[in-house]
Amino acid sequence: MIELPSRPDRRTLLVGLGAITAVWVVLGLVFPDSWAGVLLSIAANPSTHTTMLRLAVPIALAAIGGIFAEKSGVINIGIEGLLIVSAFSAIIVTFWLGSGESTLALSHHWWGFAVGVLVSTLFALLFAVVCIDFKADQIIAGLAVWLIALGLAPFVSRIVFDSPNTAGVGYFQNVTIPVLSEIPLLGYLLFDTPPQVYIMLAAAVAGWYLLNRTAFGRWVVASGENPKALDTAGVDVRRVRYTAVLLSGIFAGLGGAGFALGQLGTFAGGGETAIGGRGFIAIATYLFANYHPIGALLGSFLFAGLEAMQFQLQNLGYAVPTELIRTIPYATVIVVLVFVGKTRLPEAAGEAYDGDED
Amino acid sequence: MRDDLERLLERLIHASVAERVAISVAALFAAILVGGVLVFVSGGFASCRAGLDLAGVTFCYNPIQVYYELFLGSLGHPLEGDWSPMNYSLATTLRQTTLLIFAGLSVAVAFRAGLFNIGTQGQLVIGGLLTAVTVLFAASYVPGGFVGTVLLIPIGVLAGAVGGGLYGAIPGALKAYAGANEVITTIMLNFIAAGVASTLLSWRFQDPDSANPQTRAIPEYAEIPNVPVVGFSGRMDFSLLALGFAVALMIGIAWLLARTSFGYELRTSGIQPKAAAYGGVDEKRMTVASMTLSGALGGIAGAFWVLMEHGRWLENVPALGFDGIAVSILAGNNPLGVGAAAFLFGVLSSGSNAINTATDVPPELVGVLSGLIILFVAMPEFFRMMGRRYADVGGPERTRSTGGEADD
Repeated sequence: MIELPSRPDRRTLLVGLGAITAVWVVLGLVFPDSWAGVLLSIAANPSTHTTMLRLAVPIALAAIGGIFAEKSGVINIGIEGLLIVSAFSAIIVTFWLGSGESTLALSHHWWGFAVGVLVSTLFALLFAVVCIDFKADQIIAGLAVWLIALGLAPFVSRIVFDSPNTAGVGYFQNVTIPVLSEIPLLGYLLFDTPPQVYIMLAAAVAGWYLLNRTAFGRWVVASGENPKALDTAGVDVRRVRYTAVLLSGIFAGLGGAGFALGQLGTFAGGGETAIGGRGFIAIATYLFANYHPIGALLGSFLFAGLEAMQFQLQNLGYAVPTELIRTIPYATVIVVLVFVGKTRLPEAAGEAYDGDED
Repeated sequence: MRDDLERLLERLIHASVAERVAISVAALFAAILVGGVLVFVSGGFASCRAGLDLAGVTFCYNPIQVYYELFLGSLGHPLEGDWSPMNYSLATTLRQTTLLIFAGLSVAVAFRAGLFNIGTQGQLVIGGLLTAVTVLFAASYVPGGFVGTVLLIPIGVLAGAVGGGLYGAIPGALKAYAGANEVITTIMLNFIAAGVASTLLSWRFQDPDSANPQTRAIPEYAEIPNVPVVGFSGRMDFSLLALGFAVALMIGIAWLLARTSFGYELRTSGIQPKAAAYGGVDEKRMTVASMTLSGALGGIAGAFWVLMEHGRWLENVPALGFDGIAVSILAGNNPLGVGAAAFLFGVLSSGSNAINTATDVPPELVGVLSGLIILFVAMPEFFRMMGRRYADVGGPERTRSTGGEADD
C-alpha cells in the first residue's frame, strides 16, 4: 500500500504540540486575564506539577509493562484490568490489616502495596497461561481480564463494605530527601514526593535498561519479531513470553497499587471504577512512545498533565463544564492514535507461537 | 492484530457449527463452575448468622442456591406454585434479551468485518439520547393517540440508529484513513460519549421537575405499545412487539451477511482483507460502512432502551454495550446465535436482581461471570485439550467430521 507522503506522523505531532504550546505561552503572557493566561498560570502552578506526577504513575507504569508484553509478541490489552485488581487489592488489604499501623516494622500500606503487585502478577500469569499455552485470542482474552476485574472489584467490595466503594485507608507519606529537596524547581518535584513517584521514575530507567541493554531485552524483542529464529538460537520462546507478560503484571501492579495508596486512598468500584480507562490510555502512550520506556514516561506526563490541569481548574472554582473537560484526555488519546496509527507492531505480535509446527 | 484476527476467524470458520456450540456450552459451564467456587470462597469472608462451618470458617454463601435464584428467579420461579408466564421477572429477562440482541448484533457485525467494536456502549448512549430528544421535539408536531404511536416510534428508532451510526462511523473512519486502532478509539469514545451526553443533558435537555439527571418523559403514546391479551402488562416495561422486531432484525442481519453481496464483501474483508481488496472491495469504505452499521445497531439498542424501558433518557445508562460483547463472543459472532446468547445474558441480568433480593451475594457476580464466559470462549484449545485427555473423543478432526457444515 502506498503511503501518502503528507501523512501525519510522530514528529509532526510533536512539532504541532510544541507550536500550540508556544502560541499558548505567548498569548498567556501577553493577555494574563484571558483563558490562555489563566490556563498558563495553572500550568505553572507547582501543585499542578506534583498532581501531574502522581496521576502519571498508573499510566507510565502500565505503559512500561505493556511494552514488555507487546514486544515479546503478546498484546496485553488487559492492562486496565491489572490496574483495577492491583489498586483494589492494595486498598482492601491495607484496610484489613488496619491502616496507620505496621507489622514486622513495615507499615500496612506497604503490605497492601506488595499484595496489590502480587495479585496483578497472578492475573498476568492467568493471562499468560490462557494466551501462551491455550493459544487464546489475545484481544478477547485481554478484554475478558478487564471485564472480570470490572466485576470482581465491586463484588468483593460489596461483601466487605456493603457498597461498591471501599472505605478510605489514607495515603502514603511523602518521602523528603534532605538537601536535594531544596534544589529550586526540581527539588519539590523529584525529591519531596510520595514513594510511588520514585518507583515510577526508577521503573522507567530499569525498564529501559532491561529492554535495551540486556540479553533478556534482546530475547524479548526477538520473541516478538521472529520467534522461530529465537527458538533456533536455543532460547525458549515460551519462557521469554511468560517472563515478559509477568513483567507487565508487575509493572502494572506497581502502578495500580501505587496510584491507589498514594493518590486515591480509597477505591470506587462502580461503573468504570476509579481507574477509569487509564490502562487503555497507557496503551496509547506506549504506541506514542514507539515502545520506548523513557518515552512512555514522558508521554504519560501529557495525559496526566491534562488531567491535573482539569483538577486545578475545578479546585480554583472556575465554572467549567466538568463532564466535558473530563473527556479531554480521552480525546487526546484519539488524536495521538491518529498521528501514530501506523506504529509498526512487532512482526509476530498477537500470534501464539507453536514450536512444534512444520 | 489483523493477522491475529485472520487466524482466529479462519479457525472459527473451519470449526464446525457443532464444535462451536460445544465450545460455547463448555465455556458456559466452566464459567459457572469457577463462579460457583468464587461465590463459595468469598462467602468465607462475608459475615452472616448462619452458614456452613468448615475448619473454623463460616461460609455464608451457597452457590447452588445462588444459581437456583439466578436461573429460575429470572423466569419467576416456574417450579414453585402460582407461576404465570406473564410475571415481572420473565418480563425483565425478555426486556434485557431484546436490548441485548441489538447490542450483540452490533458487536457481531463489526467482528465479522474483522473489527472489534468495543464502542457499542457509547453508540447506545448517543443513540438513546438522540432518540429521546427527537421524540420530545417531534411530539409537539404530530397528533397524539394511535397516529402519534405509528409516527413517533419509527422516528425515534431511526434517530437512534442515525445517532449511533454516525458515532460508530468515527472510529471506522479513524481506522480506515489514519490506522488508529479501533479497540482503543472505541473505548475512548465510550468515555467521550458519556461526557458529551451528560453535558448536553445539563445544557439543554434536563427534566426541570426532577433532581435525577434525566430528560423529560416522552408522551405515553410514543412508548412501544404492548400486545393486548397475550402481552405483558404495561407496568412491566416489556413489549412482545419489541422482541419480535429484534428477532426480525436478527434474521435480517443474518440474511444480509449470508446472502447479499455487501455481506459477502464484509465477511471477506474480515477473513482475508487482502483477498477482498484484490476482489475489488474498497477496504477503507468497507471499514467505515461496517462500523456505521454496527453503530446503528448499537444506537437502536439505545432507542429501545428509551422507548420501551424508561420512556426517557437517563444519564445512568446500564452497561448493555459491554454485555453485547459477551453476547456476540458467546454466539461465535453468528447473528442467529446472538438470539440464544442474548437470552442467556438476559437471564443473568434479570437473575442478578433475584440474587440481590433472595441472597446476600452481591449482584456484581454477574459481571464476573460474563468476563469468565468470554475468557473461556476465547480458548477453545483448552477444551480440546481437556477433551483429548479425559473423554477420548479424538482431536478436532474427529469432532469436525461428525459436525454439520460450517454455516458460511
